[in-house]
Amino acid sequence: MDEQPGLSDQYRRASPWPLFVALGIPIAEVGILFDVFAVAVAGLLLFCGSVTGMLRESGYAETPWRPLGAFAILLFVVGGTLAFTDVNLVTRGYAIITAGGLLAAAGIGGELFVPKREAV
Amino acid sequence: MQITGQLALTVVMGLFLVVIAAWLAQIEDWRSYTPIGSGGATGESGYVSKEKPAGISRWLTTVDHKDIGLLYGAYGVIAFVVGGLMIMLMRIELLDPEMTLLSNSFYNSLLTSHGITMLFLFGTPIIAAFANYLVPLLIGADDMAFPRINAIAFWLLPPGALLIWAGFFPLGDIVPAQTAWTLYTPLSAGVGGGSQANAGVDLMILGLHLTGVSATMGSINFIATILTERGEKVTWANLDIFSWTILTQSGLILFAFPLLGSALIMLLLDRNLGTTFFAIEAGGTMLWQHLFWFFGHPEVYILVLPPMGIVSYVLPRFSGRRLFGFKFVVYSTLAIGVLSYGVWAHHMFATGMDPRLRASFMAVSLAIAIPSAVKTFNWITTMWNGRVRLTTPMLFCVGFISNFILGGVTGVFLASIPVDLVLHDTYYVVGHFHYIVMGAIAFAGFAGLYYWFPMFTGRMYQRRLGKIHFWTWMIGSNITFFAMIVLGYGGMPRRYATYLPQFATFHQVATLGAVLMFIGGLVWTYNFVVSWLEGPKVQDGDPWNLREDGMYTNEWQWFENKQETALADGGDEEEAVTDGGTTEAEAEAEAED
Amino acid sequence: MAKTVFDKEMFLDLVVNFIPLFILLFFIVGYTVYNPFGIDTTFRSLQYALIVTPFIMLTILTYLSAKAIGTSERDAPVYLPGGATVDGAEPVEEHEE
Ligand code: HEM
Ligand SMILES: [Cu+2]
Repeated sequence: MDEQPGLSDQYRRASPWPLFVALGIPIAEVGILFDVFAVAVAGLLLFCGSVTGMLRESGYAETPWRPLGAFAILLFVVGGTLAFTDVNLVTRGYAIITAGGLLAAAGIGGELFVPKREAV
Repeated sequence: MQITGQLALTVVMGLFLVVIAAWLAQIEDWRSYTPIGSGGATGESGYVSKEKPAGISRWLTTVDHKDIGLLYGAYGVIAFVVGGLMIMLMRIELLDPEMTLLSNSFYNSLLTSHGITMLFLFGTPIIAAFANYLVPLLIGADDMAFPRINAIAFWLLPPGALLIWAGFFPLGDIVPAQTAWTLYTPLSAGVGGGSQANAGVDLMILGLHLTGVSATMGSINFIATILTERGEKVTWANLDIFSWTILTQSGLILFAFPLLGSALIMLLLDRNLGTTFFAIEAGGTMLWQHLFWFFGHPEVYILVLPPMGIVSYVLPRFSGRRLFGFKFVVYSTLAIGVLSYGVWAHHMFATGMDPRLRASFMAVSLAIAIPSAVKTFNWITTMWNGRVRLTTPMLFCVGFISNFILGGVTGVFLASIPVDLVLHDTYYVVGHFHYIVMGAIAFAGFAGLYYWFPMFTGRMYQRRLGKIHFWTWMIGSNITFFAMIVLGYGGMPRRYATYLPQFATFHQVATLGAVLMFIGGLVWTYNFVVSWLEGPKVQDGDPWNLREDGMYTNEWQWFENKQETALADGGDEEEAVTDGGTTEAEAEAEAED
Repeated sequence: MAKTVFDKEMFLDLVVNFIPLFILLFFIVGYTVYNPFGIDTTFRSLQYALIVTPFIMLTILTYLSAKAIGTSERDAPVYLPGGATVDGAEPVEEHEE
């Protein structure tokens, strides 16, 4: 954490992430409920990305890549359940899986290609 | 066409994310061009301005409990104004028996939104405003236990409000919900004609869900804070009464709101994805009512306990003596907390439920009146023979007691089954809960706003205007809500835009009271805005002369320390003074605050 | 934990919660003695559960909170509620009111 100073390190009482965690939830909800693909994906990315940012900022995770991967797996499970089981909400499931795929790509890409100290 | 629409949306959402990412990257990189510790000698000691960025970013990124408290406060006040304007339209419509100004369906929409706005967007947040700002100061904590979760809880609210009000915005064929705040099924499940299947209802339910998530996050935070972050000298034996009520309220929220959230999701699934939780042949008509009121009754105590705490806290300061029977008030607060879960079906007495169960709910509803009454006696006894100073916050406290008695007594009548069967769904019920919600809860909120105004803003309001505000409201609310009680005795049913001519007089009286309150509201707005901008600065840490009576408390001590530090620094954060040794850039940044 | 924290003064404070408990008890007994709605085991048991549960919960919460308050009163100085961190705060004397 110390090697990656950002807003939150300089200012003890500020963090840019909560706002976007909070924005991500309704956007994802609206997208999934009304089955609007792009909105659902964007909301999920925003939410998962911001939570990840917060985890890193508060020192629970050293780099963002692992949490992103974890979120991806979670979304795959949920999306898969919606798309491929009796629940049969196929398009919504695909939206969630797509978001998971993008997160997984970011996570794996980051883990492999980003040098350790310049994360974010 | 379909495809291009999707594509456009994808581009828009993509751009949206890119903009956010860019802003985050920029803000997280701040440090690279702001040398740390610049500003030399004072760089370390200026305690607030060094912890937060300047300008609008400060408010968007803050995790400081005081800032978040102010944000909650601003949010609650704005919602209060919106809800108030809605009701003014409705009251004007009710001036005559016919449908004149508003269409019936628009009236229903306003009715629905007014209720939800006032309970979920004003009531709960304004309490959170006080709690966020004050509880950490009162218990000697540095901040809330989870500052970031605190910020998330707040930021869920603005999108929640937008969703709840979505139907009123010109958004294609979305129309506002007309379900009333109780969202009874099968109507709210989209059954039948009218606009009940419209997406406006879905959006409102989603918004409601968000505010519920927000309240739950906040409550977890308060419980953790009060249980674990108390200062060394702050024990259970000297925890202040406001924090006690917040602790109890948070416990209630923790059990009530997740239930509401689940029920709302079930409702959304029923509406959109073909489930049948609330279908007549499955859950039946009663399932929703039980789920809703199991949340709904605790909700009314969620709303009233902290205001009771504010009154219990502020009233003794202006009576010159300690709260009479402090521990009575603490234990009865806890008692209300527990019992409020055992009374929910008193909202359903008229549904034809089993008479044995109904009898039980009546028993508990009568039992819960005792702790409320006990508090009332404690407040009155505290004033008795005290050195009462009728400042504006004190006036609002006294008004609270008066209105709470009327609201409480009418409530006890309603809790009695035979009486309720006559008065259910009449204006009597509307009168009952408005005495409490407006007459008591909002009054206590304003008592708090006036009492801590010097601390929140560093300035003093205009006392005269404060008193005018109080009297217009005290008289106005009693005119309006008493007229409603009379209307209820006369048999006027609630939730109608039109009525029989024989009710016209008392409806007009009720509107008169509402106009009076509207005028008071204007006075208040003017007073707070002008005083915030240019009111006289508070000079010491004891604007209410509490030390004289030995009633000085932690939060003012904090304020005093802050004032002294600010003096030593040559200016506080709002009034950055450039000769404090700061660099020019920083001084500019601070001035932008 | 030498001396119990439940002394006479504590009981006086707790009277405030004994009253609603008593009212609940009154109805429990009352509905047993006088039952105009006939016997139906399911609803009869629900009827009692709906009063007995709040009774038990309230008893437990009152006990726990009284114990927490009593213990801190015994083990630490008691300041004015909300006044513990005021500069130069003095513990208050025993009896309130
Ligand atoms: C003194 C204890 C109280 C008792 C015994 C009581 C009793 C009742 C009863 C029986 C009803 C149902 C009336 C009906 O629909 O036929 C009712 C309605 C209501 N009460 Fe109370 N009440 C009390 C305190 C409160 C408080 C403190 C609040 C608010 C903070 C409150 C808010 C409401 C609301 C909002 C409704 C109307 C709900 C609706 O149908 O839309 N009550 N009350
Ligand atoms: Cu109720």
